[in-house]
Amino acid sequence: MSQLVFDPSKVMDIDYTKRTEYLDGLEAIKAAHKVLKEITYTPSLPDKGYTNRSLYVNVDTLEITEKPVTQQMKDVFIGGRGFGLWHLWNAVKPATRWNDPENEIVISPGPVAGMTQYAGTGKSLVVSLSPQTDIPIDSNVGGFYGPLLKFSGFDALELQGKSDKDIILFIDGQKGLIRIEEAPTDPVDSHVLAEVLTHMYAENEADLPNISVVSTGAAAEHSLIGMLNFSFYDRRRKCVRFKQAGRGGIGTVFRDKKIRALVIRGPKVAGDMNHPADPETIAKTGIKYHKEIRENDGSQCMMRRNGTAHIVEIMDAYDLLPVHNFQFGSHPDTHKIDSAYWQSRCTQHTVDGCWYGCSMACAKGADGLVLKTGPYKGDMVTVDGPEYENAAGLGSNCGIFDPDYLLELNFYCDTYGICTITYGTLCAFVMECYQRGILNKERTGGLEMVWGNAEASLEMMHQMARGEGFGKLAGQGVKKLKERFIQNAWGDPQLITDIGMENKGLEYSQYLSKESLAQQGGYALTNKGPQHDEAWVIFMDMVNKQLPTFEDKAEALYYFPLFRTWFGLNGFCKLPWNDVAPKNNSSQPEAHKIPEHVQNYVDLFSATTGIQIDKEELIHQSAKVYNFQRVFNIRMGKGLRLHDAAPYRSMGPVTKEEYESRAERYDKQIVEEMGLDPVGKTTEEKMALHREWRTGRFSKLMDSVYTRRGWTLDGVPTLERLKELGLDVFPEVVEVVKQHL
Amino acid sequence: MKQLVIDFQKCDAGRNCNHECEMECAVRVFKVDDPKQAALQIKAYEDGGGHAVLCDQCGDCVVVCPTEALKRNKLGVVMIDKKVCVGCYMCIGFCEKEAFMRNSDWLTPHKCTSCGVCVKVCPHGALSIVDVPEPPVRII
Amino acid sequence: MITVNEEPLAWHEGMTVREVLTAKNYRFPMLIIHVDDALIQKQDYGTATIPDGAVVKVIHLISGG
Repeated sequence: MSQLVFDPSKVMDIDYTKRTEYLDGLEAIKAAHKVLKEITYTPSLPDKGYTNRSLYVNVDTLEITEKPVTQQMKDVFIGGRGFGLWHLWNAVKPATRWNDPENEIVISPGPVAGMTQYAGTGKSLVVSLSPQTDIPIDSNVGGFYGPLLKFSGFDALELQGKSDKDIILFIDGQKGLIRIEEAPTDPVDSHVLAEVLTHMYAENEADLPNISVVSTGAAAEHSLIGMLNFSFYDRRRKCVRFKQAGRGGIGTVFRDKKIRALVIRGPKVAGDMNHPADPETIAKTGIKYHKEIRENDGSQCMMRRNGTAHIVEIMDAYDLLPVHNFQFGSHPDTHKIDSAYWQSRCTQHTVDGCWYGCSMACAKGADGLVLKTGPYKGDMVTVDGPEYENAAGLGSNCGIFDPDYLLELNFYCDTYGICTITYGTLCAFVMECYQRGILNKERTGGLEMVWGNAEASLEMMHQMARGEGFGKLAGQGVKKLKERFIQNAWGDPQLITDIGMENKGLEYSQYLSKESLAQQGGYALTNKGPQHDEAWVIFMDMVNKQLPTFEDKAEALYYFPLFRTWFGLNGFCKLPWNDVAPKNNSSQPEAHKIPEHVQNYVDLFSATTGIQIDKEELIHQSAKVYNFQRVFNIRMGKGLRLHDAAPYRSMGPVTKEEYESRAERYDKQIVEEMGLDPVGKTTEEKMALHREWRTGRFSKLMDSVYTRRGWTLDGVPTLERLKELGLDVFPEVVEVVKQHL
Repeated sequence: MKQLVIDFQKCDAGRNCNHECEMECAVRVFKVDDPKQAALQIKAYEDGGGHAVLCDQCGDCVVVCPTEALKRNKLGVVMIDKKVCVGCYMCIGFCEKEAFMRNSDWLTPHKCTSCGVCVKVCPHGALSIVDVPEPPVRII
Repeated sequence: MITVNEEPLAWHEGMTVREVLTAKNYRFPMLIIHVDDALIQKQDYGTATIPDGAVVKVIHLISGG
């Protein structure tokens, strides 16, 4: 065991104030804007976390209306993801698809969001019908837009309709006006667009931090995997930076509605704008937590130095880092992209938080990158210092271990408006298909998609942004690529199905789940598709052996998805929960839940809203929304057992190479788990034994998890469960479920 | 930079005085009649001697402040701009000397600014303002 | 022989907690370690020795994003 020690002398000497500027065309772009609609309104600050109204905007009819936030909405849905799902439920019909005008994008920050005293309190939840999954997607994102929206007077923003021209929605929470502007000549890609708009709408330099822009980029327009960038102004770097609402293609919906950007000008933030019921408790809890970070982060995860990339080498050490499309769990070159490297490459002597008060400060930035390819070749840019998912997805999973290329891939994903996790997994799939002859140079239009070819990956991304060639096809995502490759008879359909790492149409995030049955469920038995936002239980299951029985695993897949859903109802970030732990945590009961932090959350919610809850009520709050979302999926024609099926690559060794690379482990499992003798059997025979055993136990896990969640074995919430949660007050919810009981 | 220092050869940790320094700071600087709100706090040890909680202008808080509300002035003293501060209290949590303070009635935190009002009232002459070099910026 | 997270591991006289972590390649920084139900503090990993036949539990917390 070796704990990385921070050595300031190794940090590269890069001027973090230097980068290419894009403000030359600002005046001309502004002059081309045409006001289509302008209304005035009365801005207001929240009371106990709620402004009690939401804003509805139809970008087609230009209707702008306020709606009340009802007590029932607060009681059942809390806010954030809950409000998003409720608004979307009311907006769409079972037949609605992502590109129908009635589909909405809902942005809601949650009652706690905007608090400045605790870490990770600036989150917005974005909800829409996903172009990839045809069910609701929710994405948890930092940046300033959500808190500033609330401080301008709205608990949620609903965007509906489809415009026929590119538009910008501007909300001025200082002056009390809302404007829809035609934006015919605005830049397309986020890093240029958001910089221009931030300076265009700020009235002076001091006003820059009061502006936040939501935008996407060129690739969102030509693919289904578009994401949204939420900006925040970095005062020290003097630049506009982003956090991403990445998963599920919401950026694609945004451009389908022809929205170029959402711009908010909020009031200058102060520490009491959320008007909490009990500011004293919030102040004390926040200070206690900041102190905990100061004392412990340096010897624990070093989030302040490395961000989430601190686990790159750890995942490699535990055989969990995805390599070559999730075939393997480690690689000899991992050290080239590990946290020791990022610690020296990311700027260290500045403040990296994506909202005020975040002492965890994981939003690292890599400055001074000179781009080698694409439309911005030669420009010097600041890149979001790769998060773990980006290093793993764009890097190791594609066999790419060159950190500068990795940064460039990360940069273009961001500015083109596509999800790094999705892109990483789909590029890895394309590369494996190429390596196995399912694809070739002719089929890719000349792209040599071999492991480690960063230039080919970049070119595929540039094609996606230009809407041409193989890159355009790839932008449809793994699910549609699988269908296409099978349809074209380009390879063995079973193999293509097995190695395409998607479930429900969404690409897997970057952890190897083969040796953790609970994590296979943690990925596949989710509401929105396979991500680690709901549950990350690999250590508990595979390393700690804390979940020996199916019931244990089911309990973990009951508790953690609900616990983690709660962050998204309130506007919290998940990371401050468990990327640092109090010194005495190890002697606490249920230490893996970090009980002191759970209590912090209970206290922060109660102190904000004035509604006293405990840790059981916290889970109950989530359960309402979680089950509502499951019913929503069913309403949209999905959400049943068959839709929770997982690709075999997530469960076990698909290929001979995978089996033989870990033969000792797999042979041992044949003896110990199956009670059989591997001696004398061919690899193919042993793989077949594994497949039977692994798919069998996954099916058993589904039974256990559904039962624990109060669902039928087909994955449908029972009427009793709905009653328990008070969801039976919605007749339509009951109606959806009844059809499946 | 200007720094308030205390000489515990002279200060007897409040055993034979009325905490004039704290009172003067509270009343003159913070306009409150409560020595607990002063930017320096003299604590007596049970077995003799004592220590003072006070800001030595190390600048750690300047590094962690997300809004640049904390900056050194011309004299090197770390000052807070209350108009810019968002009350996140990271300065309080990250202060190793626990010299950044909070009054429940105020939104913004406060600390010693080496103004010296306490120096003049100390009956033992234990306090002084000295001029010392600024420490290098630390990565926190 | 000792048991570490339900798996056997060869034991030697004077074996420390840190040696167990090295042998298992347990590199994660957020661990909770019990030797025969006694909690071992992080600062003692290098000195705390493990008796033969001990049951060692190395609980990894959750991290990352």
